[in-house]
Amino acid sequence: MTAVLRLATTTAGQVLGLRRFLGLVALALLPALIVYLSTGRASDASRLETFAGITVGFFFGIAVPVIALVLSTAALGDERRDQTLSFIVLRPISRFWIAAAKILAAVTAAGGVAGIGALGLGVAMGLRHGEWGYGIPLVVGAVVATAVYGAAFVPLGYLTERATLAGLAFVFILEGAVAGAIAALASVSPWRIGLSAFAAISPRGVLAFIPSFALGNVVPGVGGAILKAVVVLAAGTWFTSWILTNRDLV
Amino acid sequence: MTAPDTPPADPAVVAGATVAVNAVSKWFGQKVAVSNVTCSFGAGVTGLLGPNAAGKTTLLRMLTGLILPSEGTIAVLGTNPRHHPATYRKMALVPEENAVYANLTARALVRYSAELSGVADPGAAAERAIAAVELDDAADRSVGGFSKGMRQRAKVAAALVIDPEVLILDEPLNGTDPIQRLRLIALFRRIGDEGRTVIVSSHVLQEVERMTDRVIAMVDGKLAAAGDITAIRGAMADIPYRVKVEADDPRRLASALVASDTVRGVEFDDRGVRVETTDLRSLGRRVTVMAAELGIRLRAFRPEDDSLESVFRYLVHRR
Repeated sequence: MTAVLRLATTTAGQVLGLRRFLGLVALALLPALIVYLSTGRASDASRLETFAGITVGFFFGIAVPVIALVLSTAALGDERRDQTLSFIVLRPISRFWIAAAKILAAVTAAGGVAGIGALGLGVAMGLRHGEWGYGIPLVVGAVVATAVYGAAFVPLGYLTERATLAGLAFVFILEGAVAGAIAALASVSPWRIGLSAFAAISPRGVLAFIPSFALGNVVPGVGGAILKAVVVLAAGTWFTSWILTNRDLV
Repeated sequence: MTAPDTPPADPAVVAGATVAVNAVSKWFGQKVAVSNVTCSFGAGVTGLLGPNAAGKTTLLRMLTGLILPSEGTIAVLGTNPRHHPATYRKMALVPEENAVYANLTARALVRYSAELSGVADPGAAAERAIAAVELDDAADRSVGGFSKGMRQRAKVAAALVIDPEVLILDEPLNGTDPIQRLRLIALFRRIGDEGRTVIVSSHVLQEVERMTDRVIAMVDGKLAAAGDITAIRGAMADIPYRVKVEADDPRRLASALVASDTVRGVEFDDRGVRVETTDLRSLGRRVTVMAAELGIRLRAFRPEDDSLESVFRYLVHRR
């Protein structure tokens, strides 16, 4: 287990190179900055509307998926690109635990960066609106969303060199456009699963301002969101383990 | 262990084998990379020799479990490591490609290797492995800033740190300077002499010759020859090598070489002489002596790669 944790911590450090970390933290904090700057003289209702719009459209809809995509695809993708896969797989560690370590690292790194953005948004609303209760629900929602993305994007990073492109197509075409138009598809959208957790435990009032297309047929609920994340994580770990076992590692 | 009870007759198979390859083939789409290879490896150093694209790397990758055979079976210490990861506690690979984390120092890389393999005292083991490859002075520098030869040594240290019973090295001398090469060769021989299985691939016959007497030669994915290197040399005696000799007076050197009984043919141009011989070693000595006697300055003496390749192809046809 020590070796698995060492693999996970080293991977987290590797995917979070300094420049990548700073760039993604800046992206994560951008929604907070916009909320803070644009709600100075707004009424309470207008401020909540702006906050809900930025939270849905920018934080959950763009920042969280992009952060998760970049960091998760790098967890195995960088090893393949740098030809270091043999360094980690020729170890007395089962492929399942290698997959688990990689996904744990990706989720921790992405959840940490997205969490900084979530706390930033919470602080912005605390300063402008006097309500400090948004931060933790935003962190929960962001971590749930990054967990689901991580389970999908870690194996994607191994399977294709164009993982970032494929991931962006998933986020902006399937999740953004198609799931926005067809409510039934919303339940396969990771950021909506995170948003549902946030909506369920955030201070009252904000739910009314979340656009209907955002949640689709997803019912707000933190327990359900966490359960979905756990199921997707288990499936993602199994799938990553399967491809590491059954594909040639070249 | 997969050793047969009686000494086998096939020179590709050894008694007391720790690594056994049985009728293994590998193809990628239409391309056959390894074709029906049966061989085994035991204690000591074995050279896996062959020209580029002979299938050596594919075979080594199958031995380590990085890729799966399309047909046939592999056993390392009695198991297929791909399905029994515990085997990796006792085997290590030094891959041909760079395969290092450029941002880590050599010391951190070797320690990381030890930790991933569950070595009891990773710090002390890392120091021993770094000392074994004589990388102490550069151990705290980033591997990304290393020359290719130093990277090779860092990779060898990362493999040695787990104290492997089976050590697989894919072209480990690539990029090393002559002094590093001699030291690494001595190190591999020492590890082999300790009773461990060391498999070293190379496309340079002279390199392999310095490391071991036992060779398995491959070409075009097939086993070309196996066994004692002297016997293989004997099998090669019938067909000529081509050697390029660069000298400052190729015409005079060519005239002198024509009279030599080790030479089958000579061509020359402005830069050097291309010689055909069946006895590479004698030719090397003869050319050196002749050049000294005639006052000719030699710039290079090298067997041409396609010459070696043709030797291997010939051996495949003979099998």
